[in-house]
Amino acid sequence: MTATSTSTSQPRTSTDIAVIGWAQAAIERRTDQNETQMLMSAITDALTPLGLTRADVDFTCLGSCDYITGQAFSFVANLDAIGAWPPKRDSHVEMDGAWALYEAWLRLHEGDIEIAVVTGSGRSSTGDPSLIYPMEMDPYVLAPLGADLVTFAALQARAVIAAGLADERAMAEVSIRSRGKGTVDELLAGEYVREPLRRHDLPPITDGAVAMVLATGDRARQLVERPAYITGFDHRTECHNPALRRLDDSPSTRIAAREAGLDDRGVEVAELQASFTHEELLLRHVLDLGDDVSVNPSGGALRANPIMATGLARIGYAADHVFAGGTRALGHATSGPCLQQNLICVLEGRS
Amino acid sequence: MTRFVESTITFPYKRSLGPVTGAFMTALADKRILGVRSGSGVLVPPMEWDPVSGAELAAELVEVGPAGTVEAWTWVPEPTEAHPLDRPFAFAFIRLDGASVPLLHAVDTGSPAAVRAGMRVAPRWRGRRVGHITDIACFVPGEDAQVDGPDAGAPGQPVELMDYTAAVTYSTPVPEMADRAVAATRERRLVGLRCPTCERVYVGGDRPYCPVDALELGPDAEVDLPTTGTLTNFIVVEPVRYPGQTETEPFARVFVLLDDTEVVLTYQPVIDLPVHDIHVGVRVTAVWAPADAPVDTFSGIGRPMGSLLGWTPSGEPDAHDPDLVNRIY
Repeated sequence: MTATSTSTSQPRTSTDIAVIGWAQAAIERRTDQNETQMLMSAITDALTPLGLTRADVDFTCLGSCDYITGQAFSFVANLDAIGAWPPKRDSHVEMDGAWALYEAWLRLHEGDIEIAVVTGSGRSSTGDPSLIYPMEMDPYVLAPLGADLVTFAALQARAVIAAGLADERAMAEVSIRSRGKGTVDELLAGEYVREPLRRHDLPPITDGAVAMVLATGDRARQLVERPAYITGFDHRTECHNPALRRLDDSPSTRIAAREAGLDDRGVEVAELQASFTHEELLLRHVLDLGDDVSVNPSGGALRANPIMATGLARIGYAADHVFAGGTRALGHATSGPCLQQNLICVLEGRS
Repeated sequence: MTRFVESTITFPYKRSLGPVTGAFMTALADKRILGVRSGSGVLVPPMEWDPVSGAELAAELVEVGPAGTVEAWTWVPEPTEAHPLDRPFAFAFIRLDGASVPLLHAVDTGSPAAVRAGMRVAPRWRGRRVGHITDIACFVPGEDAQVDGPDAGAPGQPVELMDYTAAVTYSTPVPEMADRAVAATRERRLVGLRCPTCERVYVGGDRPYCPVDALELGPDAEVDLPTTGTLTNFIVVEPVRYPGQTETEPFARVFVLLDDTEVVLTYQPVIDLPVHDIHVGVRVTAVWAPADAPVDTFSGIGRPMGSLLGWTPSGEPDAHDPDLVNRIY
């Protein structure tokens, strides 16, 4: 399917694949636990309420980042949390766990296995994010300038404001809604970190891990009363250098949403990985979310931002809406500077 | 209280540039800025492929700037060591004259009040240029390019490689069991962690888990282990020079199967056993540091673990068990 093809209202596959549970571990500014320890408890806490053990898991895919851990092949140590016996198929993505979920979803389509566990984990407090992130930028003309994530976010905020999609007051309101703290006037009295961004426009630095359990078809229905079926799933990317993109738009989000079937029917809840306040306002606009959609009831990435797990947590919270009786929710994840790559996962309940 | 260990990792990258980025860098050393034609526009820095369509571009390079207009900016009040200037500055998208996209670079204006969208800026070149984006020290207000100090001129040959070095300091928690294992070696004890489920025993404590059963193992899992064993495997390393390598002569690391256990210690240092005498079946015993010697608490693959410096022949006859060669883990 190409980026320009039109979507259909039919499910794109014949296999029912559902999120049936998830759990988080740590989710704090600085934890004493290493990634393996966080994953150990997140995986146990995700499986146990379902009556499953690690022996029931057929496939695992872990999302983490060696640069953040400061250790080559750091994900190998994380496998200690998986349970090596009986042997299971395993994979890893050097991305947020939301992309591990995408790989597991693809793998389950093969139809020969029923249960998958995906994780995202990171200890952001291990290093200084402002020094680590430039290393992920263009290695020729951006990384050598120390071009950091917050600088690029500020330049995108300028573009979003210039396009009339945001202003500093609206951005402060996003922060207040997400964190439940302060008033607009209090927040706007703060100093700029990178003009026009103040501290409240930035995400917190958070350590943490997320584990999610997927099941197919009848197995999902046996294990939980109301599985959150994945009915649309797509991700798209744009040019790596934000200077070469229009920063008041997010075409990759728009295409992913269309391919995931979002045009056909709306959602009740949208969990968006908006790490900066203006990103939420831009994504609301691009996804055409009306006032009837509850955006980031969890508090979003502005409340807790466990790098490499924040996107997967969005899909977890969207699944929670379905578990609680909701009909349709979306989880969004992003990667790279200025919303470079975007993923949309649509979850539905069935009566 | 969990102990954290700090370590700084340096990433010294040397990158090959290719024909288009190489031409861009070569031109920078000559105080010229190049873009590439893409449709009706000019991309700066030049790309080999169009960023939207992915179409290969014809590498038609054109000179732009050197002056340009600030399109958007943000102020960096507290620069990091990775930034191009050590004093507060603006990062800005600068549309160089003749370009259709902006270039990110630093603008040195002294204060945020002195920078605004629409202002004209020009490069301040380094006097000594190597073909690198930081050959432009920064941009400064005005129409005219400047040079920092005496102009050493261009290197006079095409730039094909560039250096990029980053350093990050990491603060990593040390599992309590790793510290306990090191502390035990001061008492000349070797402790392992026995999984209550599968009864396998693991040594070291830096990964205090049973990976088979996915269980974390704590102090109640500790067991004392024998300090004698048999070599099951070894490797002789011919040291090549790389940053951090202090060995100059061939040296060995051996695998030791501890007596009356299933435990194999991997990559152990060996003491008073010449590399040409090492073979499977050698009986060995632990060598401990003197009680008052300082202990390196950083254990890693191939290094001593606390006071356990390594293993030396015990003088007993070799063990002759054909299965030994299968005991590498």
